[in-house]
Amino acid sequence: MEKPKLIVDGKRLDGRGFEELRPIKIEVGVLKRADGSCYLEMGKNKIIAAVYGPREVHPRHLQDPSKAVIRYRYNMAPFSVEERKKPGPDRRSVEISKVSREALEPVIMKELFPRSGIDVFVEVLQADAGTRTACLNAASVALIDAGVMMKGIVTAVAVAKVDGQIVLDPMKEEDFYGEADMPVAFLIRNDQIESIALLQMDGRMTVEEVKKGIELAKKGAMEIYRMQREAVMKKYVKEEE
Amino acid sequence: MPEDILMDIKRDYVLSRIRAGERIDGRNFDEFRKVEVKTGIIEKAEGSALVKLGNTQVVVGVKMQVGEPFPDTPNMGIIITNAELVPLASPTFEPGPPDENSIELARVVDRGIRESEAVDLEKLCIEEGEKVWIVFIDIHALDDDGNLMDASSIAAISALMNTTVPAERFGVGEDFKLPIRDFPISVTSLVVDDRILVDPCRDEMSVGKNLMTITSDEEGNVVAMQKSGSYLMAEEKFYELLDLSVAKAKEIRENVREQLKGGENGEDEES
Amino acid sequence: MRKIVMPGDLIAKNPKVAGHGTYVEGGKVYAKYLGLLDKTDTSVRVIPLKGRYIPFPGDVVIGIVREVTANGWVVDIYSPYRAFLPISEYPENAIKNRKVNEILDIGDAIIAKVLNIDPKMKVTLTMKDRVCKPVRVGRVIAINPARVPRVIGKKGSMIKLLKSELGIQIVVGQNGLIWINGDRKKVSIAEEAIYIIEEEAHTEGLTDRITEFIKNKKGEDKNGEAKADS
Repeated sequence: MEKPKLIVDGKRLDGRGFEELRPIKIEVGVLKRADGSCYLEMGKNKIIAAVYGPREVHPRHLQDPSKAVIRYRYNMAPFSVEERKKPGPDRRSVEISKVSREALEPVIMKELFPRSGIDVFVEVLQADAGTRTACLNAASVALIDAGVMMKGIVTAVAVAKVDGQIVLDPMKEEDFYGEADMPVAFLIRNDQIESIALLQMDGRMTVEEVKKGIELAKKGAMEIYRMQREAVMKKYVKEEE
Repeated sequence: MPEDILMDIKRDYVLSRIRAGERIDGRNFDEFRKVEVKTGIIEKAEGSALVKLGNTQVVVGVKMQVGEPFPDTPNMGIIITNAELVPLASPTFEPGPPDENSIELARVVDRGIRESEAVDLEKLCIEEGEKVWIVFIDIHALDDDGNLMDASSIAAISALMNTTVPAERFGVGEDFKLPIRDFPISVTSLVVDDRILVDPCRDEMSVGKNLMTITSDEEGNVVAMQKSGSYLMAEEKFYELLDLSVAKAKEIRENVREQLKGGENGEDEES
Repeated sequence: MRKIVMPGDLIAKNPKVAGHGTYVEGGKVYAKYLGLLDKTDTSVRVIPLKGRYIPFPGDVVIGIVREVTANGWVVDIYSPYRAFLPISEYPENAIKNRKVNEILDIGDAIIAKVLNIDPKMKVTLTMKDRVCKPVRVGRVIAINPARVPRVIGKKGSMIKLLKSELGIQIVVGQNGLIWINGDRKKVSIAEEAIYIIEEEAHTEGLTDRITEFIKNKKGEDKNGEAKADS
C-alpha cells in the first residue's frame, strides 16, 4: 500500500499541530459493580476501565503473604477494529498487559494489603492507535476512584516520528505509516513528573529524536494529568456539595 | 511457579557488592560477559545459531515456508518470531503454553529485526499477492543464566545471516542467501538504585527484574525499546542508558561480526 | 467544604503531623488516596471517599459465616480479608454443649468485634462483648464503608437521632454493614434515611433535614394507615 503524505502544510492529517493531543473525554464512576471505574475517549479510542479490590485472591496459592497481587487485563473487543478481532488474549495483549501492570505496580502501595488482590480490567471498545496509553490513563483514574492507595497518578501518552517530525499522540494513519512509535507513561506527583513507569518503542529514531520525544511526551502527559484530575473532581465535588 | 530459593539467599550479597561499587563476577558495570557465536549447527534448519553469553545459552533456528502474504503487504515476505522457555533451561520455567515472559522475549527480539528492516522482505516475494516466503525465527532457550534477551537477539540475527532460502526444495527457483541489510543489536541493562548493570547475570537479577532493553541498528539509530519490570525509572537514568546502550551495541556488533566471518559451518576455532 | 485531594498531592511539609491517609517521603507529607483533606496545625489526615473496609482492632463489624471448622468459624466481613472467630471467643454460657455448627452455621450473620490482626493480616474476631450477637431478626443493609463515620455522626449523634425518633435498634458495622431491628415500617424509614445520610453527608443542616424526613415519613405512614382503615 502506498504511504500517504502524513504532514501537509505543517499540519497533520486531522488538522492537529505537532504538539497537540486528540480531544479527550473522561468520565469517572461509570460502573455500578466495580469499586472504581472510568470511561475514556481519546480521539476515536473508546476505553472502559474497572478496578476491583483490594479483595480476596482465589485460588489461595496465588496470594502473596507480603503484598497485594496486581492483575491487569488489557482486552480488545472483537468489534473494536475494522476487521473483527478473535476474542480472547493474543500475544500482543499479553505483552501490553504485562508492561502496563509493571507501570502500575511500583505506584500502588501494595505492601499495605498482604494476601489481597487488586484487579484492573480494561476493555477497548473502539481502537484507533494509542490504545495501551489510553487504557493506562483510564485504569489510573479507576484506581483513584476505587480509593486505592498510590504514590501518585500514572499518566501515559504516545509520541511518534511521522514524515521526519516528532509528533504527540499519533492517530491510526500516523501509527501505521509513521517511522516510529513510542508509548510512555509517567508517575506524576503533585503536578510534577517524577519518573518513567512505562517505555516502549518500535521504529527508527536517532538518540536525539528519542530524547526530544520524551520531552514532548512529558508535555502531553501533563495536559492529560490535569484532565484526569478534573474528571475525578467533577464527580466528587458534585457528591460533596 | 517453583521458587528459586537460591535467588532469595543471594539478594543481600549481590546488593552489598553493587553498593560497594563492584559486580559479583568482577565485571565492570558496562561490561558484557563473553559472547560466543556458532552458526549452522542445525543442518535441518535453513539457518541456525548457538549463542553463549557467559553461561546463558540460546539456540535459534530459522525455518522457511512458502505462504500467502498479508493483504496490506502483498509484495513482502513475512517474519514470525517465537520463543520457548523450555523447562530444561531453568528451575523456574514450567511446561505449557508460552507465558508473558516468553511472549515478551519473542516480541522484543522480533521488533529489533523487523524495525531495523534487517531482512529485505521485498526480496522474499515470489508472486505478488499470491506467494511469499515466511521466515520462522524460533528461539529456544537452553540455559538461563540471565539476559536471555540479548543472547536471543544475537542468536536471531546470526541465524538469519546463516540462512539459505530453500527455493529448490519448494520448486520456486534456485537457493539463495537470505538478503540481510542491517545488524540490530539489543543491549539489556539492570537498573539497581543508581547503578546500571549491562548484561545482568541470573544472580544479579535476584535484586529485582528492573530491566531496560534498547536495540539499535548499524547506524546507531534506536529501533526498539522495552522497559520490563515493576519499577520506576528516573528520566536522567534513561538518557544515560540510551547513550550507553547504543555505544555498547556497536562493540558487540563488531565482536559478533568477527566471529561470524571466522566460524562458519559450526567449526569451533578454539578446539 | 473540605478540599478534595488525590494520591500524591503534597498536603504538608512537616512529617510530624502526618496522619491517616498520608505517606511521608523526603520529609514531605503526601495524600495516598482520594479523600477530603482534614488539616489542623497539629495534624493532617485524609478522610477517604471510597475504598474497601480494612479491619482495625476494636472495630464492630457485621459478617456472614462462610465456613465451619472444628475450632471456630470463618467469617466474611466484606473486606479483602476473611476473619476467624475461634470458638474460645464465643460467650461460654451460650455454648451449652452444642456442636460448632449448631451454635453458628454457614450463612448465619453475626455482629462481632475485631480482636486482633497479625502482620500478615490474619484477622481474629471475638463475640465476648455486650454489642455482639448472632443476627436472627431485623434487616442488614450495606453502605460504602468510607461513609460509616458520617452515618454515625459526631459522637454518635446521627444514630441517636434515628434510634430516638423511630424507637428501633441499630448497630453500625465499621465495614459498612448496618443492622436495623424493630417495627417493619420504621425499619424501612431508617434504611431510607441512612441512604440519604450516606449520599448527602457533610452538607449543612443535615441533622435537621433528617429529622424533617423522618417526621414526614411517619406522617405519610399514619395517613396511609388511616386511609386503609377507612
